[in-house]
Amino acid sequence: MNQSGVLVDQLEKTYPGPVRAVDGISFEVAAGEIYGLLGPNGAGKSTVVKVLTTLALPTSGTAQVGGFDVRTQPGEVRRIAGVALQEIGLDPVMKSLEMLRLQGRLFGMSSGEATRRAHELIELVGLSDATERRIRTYSGGMRRRLDLALALVHQPQVLFLDEPTTGLDPASRRDLWAEVKRLNRELQMTILLTTQYLEEADALADRVAIIDQGRIQLEGSPAELKAGVGSESINISFRNRELAEQARGVLAQLAAEIQRDRETIRLYLNRAAAAVPAVVRRLQQANLEPLSVTLTQPTLDDVFLKATGQRLAAPSGMEATQ
Amino acid sequence: MNLATTRTLNARRAGDQPRRWLVIEVALMSWRNLVAVFRTPEAMLPPLAISLFFLVIYDSTLGRASSFIPDLGANSYLGFILPLSIISASLAGAGIAAQNLVREIESGYFDKLLLTPISRAALLLGPIFAGAVILGIQASLVMAVGLLLGLEPSTGLPGLLAVGGLAILLGTGFAGFTVSAALGSGSAAATQGASFLFFPLTFLAPTFVPLELLDGWLSTAARFNPITYVLQAMRGLMNSGWEAAALWQAVAACLILAVAMYALAAFALRVRTSRK
Repeated sequence: MNQSGVLVDQLEKTYPGPVRAVDGISFEVAAGEIYGLLGPNGAGKSTVVKVLTTLALPTSGTAQVGGFDVRTQPGEVRRIAGVALQEIGLDPVMKSLEMLRLQGRLFGMSSGEATRRAHELIELVGLSDATERRIRTYSGGMRRRLDLALALVHQPQVLFLDEPTTGLDPASRRDLWAEVKRLNRELQMTILLTTQYLEEADALADRVAIIDQGRIQLEGSPAELKAGVGSESINISFRNRELAEQARGVLAQLAAEIQRDRETIRLYLNRAAAAVPAVVRRLQQANLEPLSVTLTQPTLDDVFLKATGQRLAAPSGMEATQ
Repeated sequence: MNLATTRTLNARRAGDQPRRWLVIEVALMSWRNLVAVFRTPEAMLPPLAISLFFLVIYDSTLGRASSFIPDLGANSYLGFILPLSIISASLAGAGIAAQNLVREIESGYFDKLLLTPISRAALLLGPIFAGAVILGIQASLVMAVGLLLGLEPSTGLPGLLAVGGLAILLGTGFAGFTVSAALGSGSAAATQGASFLFFPLTFLAPTFVPLELLDGWLSTAARFNPITYVLQAMRGLMNSGWEAAALWQAVAACLILAVAMYALAAFALRVRTSRK
């Protein structure tokens, strides 16, 4: 395996209960790659990150980070891995430079080195104006950026970002994306990120694994995955679910596959535009009046829907990609 | 590239960063905790205020009715009751170490520290050292107020230093208990509750009268309470002079308490930091 990649093989993690948070996951992240784990809340993404960053032990299976086994060589893994967890761990009464300096010192830097590195990183994440303020007064975006800076103090080879933009406004989200891309491009840093935002996975990841109920449902580059769901689809919304369900039956012969999500049905077929008249005619015959008919190019949303049978609900503040 | 080469490369890279000495780690964490405490004085001031309040109240209400207590020396009641205030300040101060730790756990910073190469012992010793510094300061302040109220310790300044030392020793031992609660519960409320256990303990002791005047179950409880011996040693230093036996008993009681509580804390730390 590669020097600074990640290798996960048949990983399982069961919590007392028993809750099978991760149910046999295997994947490989090449050195210098950005790999995205995409899935809803509770899919097992954070658990995978916790195991890979040595915070939790796997129940079975193996995982290596940079060639080190997370089970038997946790110290080595910690030295080459940088981690920004979903729950940002910052002490509210401290100041940014103090936390960065302490982090550097704990990773073995001298006082001078740690100070230099702290200033470098404060500059990098754009917090130079806020160094004299306590973290308590920081906005969500500022905390995220400081948390990212803390993860970078020891120049990790592999960076783990667990839902790095959850709770951020769109502008801060884009700033963070730019930063992640830059780290990857300029420092060849391997990055494993988890997200519940399709747009994020699409924008950042070289490869994406769709994870649901503790399993990888589908894996590939965003382009491959989108190509895999067929070229186009027709979406038809109705006043209620019953009408949508009836329409699904009526249109069954017209498309290779029809799915219903609440009041909307989606027909997967090639040359969708050409098929619209026939679809509308058939609905008229059945006396089913649609509220809207739209055509869409496949998105990761479609991929997700197809892989898991449900839509990845876009949390507030983030629209699903269209 | 094969795995063996990979390992060597990474090992060398990891080796570029030398392992910190435990002393340095503890110093770094103590500093961090002290900064945090001084930025949250609201955690530190109430216990101090309460200790001073009790000192003044006890001295002015009970001080006049103290003729039944033998060997009061020159100080009347003040030298007898001041150690109680010092001890309650130091036990309440012990809660500060735990409050720091629990804030770390609740904010998630503790997990972040676990992802650095820091030794597990430093995670515990940092807040405890900081707590010891704080309770040393608190004990000094209580003694300073005692001096202002007219205290004339019969062993002078060295005696006061010894009293301060005993306060730190007792408080630090008790801190082993409060940090165990912090590590075990991870909750600020539970930690606060555990810290208040000191309150009854200070009364299961020769709190208002000498040990000889206690009887029945209270006398038995007091004999097993380390606070009893610290209280007696401190009173001796204030009112009668250097008494080697009393001092040794107090130091031994503190050490026994500390060993037991730190065994508990080490266990709680192990449970908290073990990967599940």
